[in-house]
Amino acid sequence: MEQLMIELNPQTTQPVVQVKNLAKAYGSNVVLRDVSLSVAEGSVTAMIGPSGAGKSTVLRCMNLLEQPDSGEIVIDGHCINAGKKTSPKSLAALRRSAGMVFQHFNLFPHMTVLRNVSLPQERVLGCSREQANEKSMELLKRMGLADKADQYPSRCSGGQQQRIAIARALALGPRVMLFDEPTSALDPEVGVEVLEVMKELASTGMTMVVVTHEMAFAENVADELVVMADGGIIEKGHPGQILKDPQHERTRRFLRAVLER
Amino acid sequence: MEMLKAIAIGLPLTVLVTILALMIGTVVALPIVAGLRSRNRLIWLMSRGLVDLLRGIPPVVWLFMLYYGISIGAVRLSALQAGVLGLGVVAAAYLAEIFRGAISAVPKGQWEASSALGFHRATVWTRIVGPQTARAAIPAYTTFAIGLLKDSSIASTIGVSEIVFMSSQYARQSGSGILVFFVAAGIYILLSVPLGLLSRHLDVKMRKAVAR
Repeated sequence: MEQLMIELNPQTTQPVVQVKNLAKAYGSNVVLRDVSLSVAEGSVTAMIGPSGAGKSTVLRCMNLLEQPDSGEIVIDGHCINAGKKTSPKSLAALRRSAGMVFQHFNLFPHMTVLRNVSLPQERVLGCSREQANEKSMELLKRMGLADKADQYPSRCSGGQQQRIAIARALALGPRVMLFDEPTSALDPEVGVEVLEVMKELASTGMTMVVVTHEMAFAENVADELVVMADGGIIEKGHPGQILKDPQHERTRRFLRAVLER
Repeated sequence: MEMLKAIAIGLPLTVLVTILALMIGTVVALPIVAGLRSRNRLIWLMSRGLVDLLRGIPPVVWLFMLYYGISIGAVRLSALQAGVLGLGVVAAAYLAEIFRGAISAVPKGQWEASSALGFHRATVWTRIVGPQTARAAIPAYTTFAIGLLKDSSIASTIGVSEIVFMSSQYARQSGSGILVFFVAAGIYILLSVPLGLLSRHLDVKMRKAVAR
């Protein structure tokens, strides 16, 4: 037992995601300046801030959907340095460790819900179709969508589509889930379904990074709150503390805008 | 009766020229699309130039050049070969543009989701972007195919004995003038209407399944 603890310990203290000195600019338009961030195993990090602050860009840099100009990204021990050329192999490893959920779901419209969730398992993990379908059905059940398996995504509501997208990402067994404004394209009532699933996911100990405008989620579910503005992190820490007593004037202004409307 | 017989003799060649040219066009269009999408400026420029060259010269001129102008050693292209090849490469240029447009109609999010899931490039093309491109291309592709069916009559100018060739030959021999061409026109309509129907049917069916 003691030995087990010792073996487990370094893993639990090691952050799952580490971002160091990330910077990105489009010409003279600086989107990110020197962003550093680390996400502990099993924690939920919420990123908030005005639009154009660079929240989504940080998230999209984490799995290299955007190429940062400089900086380093480590996910689950897979390191990528923006300065050096990344081999397709290490890129694949990094992306396999990170599951991504998009604002606009990005499900594959020409496949049934079940195929959407199963195909990545077959292609990326090399599962057989039976294995993949079994796992997919299990996940769809967990999302409350087992009866949608044979439908096409277009026949599902936005909230259902987003939950399918979450199932699709989870099916690959990621170490961290990245959510890019998962409820921003949804009606408030439908968004709740998605937030419920995310809460359940957080309670199972999934490491999550969530870019969001849902302040209640940030306050109640997140362990760490990151406030971004103008391409940089201006404040981070315990959500309750920041929301109650923001240190930075920019944070105060933003919170006034979102909370007191 | 003689009239119908003449047209019936021409019919298989019309269909053959159309199908072969369409096949050549489809296959040759693929590397051209790759070139048009290339980030290498030289490759892009060459592909662009090729498309503009193929499209810019009238098909009948291409056929004349291939039929009368080209001899490989002592071998000259037969009328059928020149017709199929000429119409085929011109088709490739148009189809390349159709495919290029269909590919860019696939939403960016599909590429991003594929990358985020860790699909290989080959998987993205065969399973994600390819099928969606094919669906987007169907209406324009069949429109082009119907156009090609009629343009196959250009091959009559170099002596491919397809419908129009046979019709004019019959018209000259029998002296019955314009009537045979009306019948030929009817045959073309009979050929192209089902194609259009099929295309619309496929399009509607797919739209129903995947409509957003």
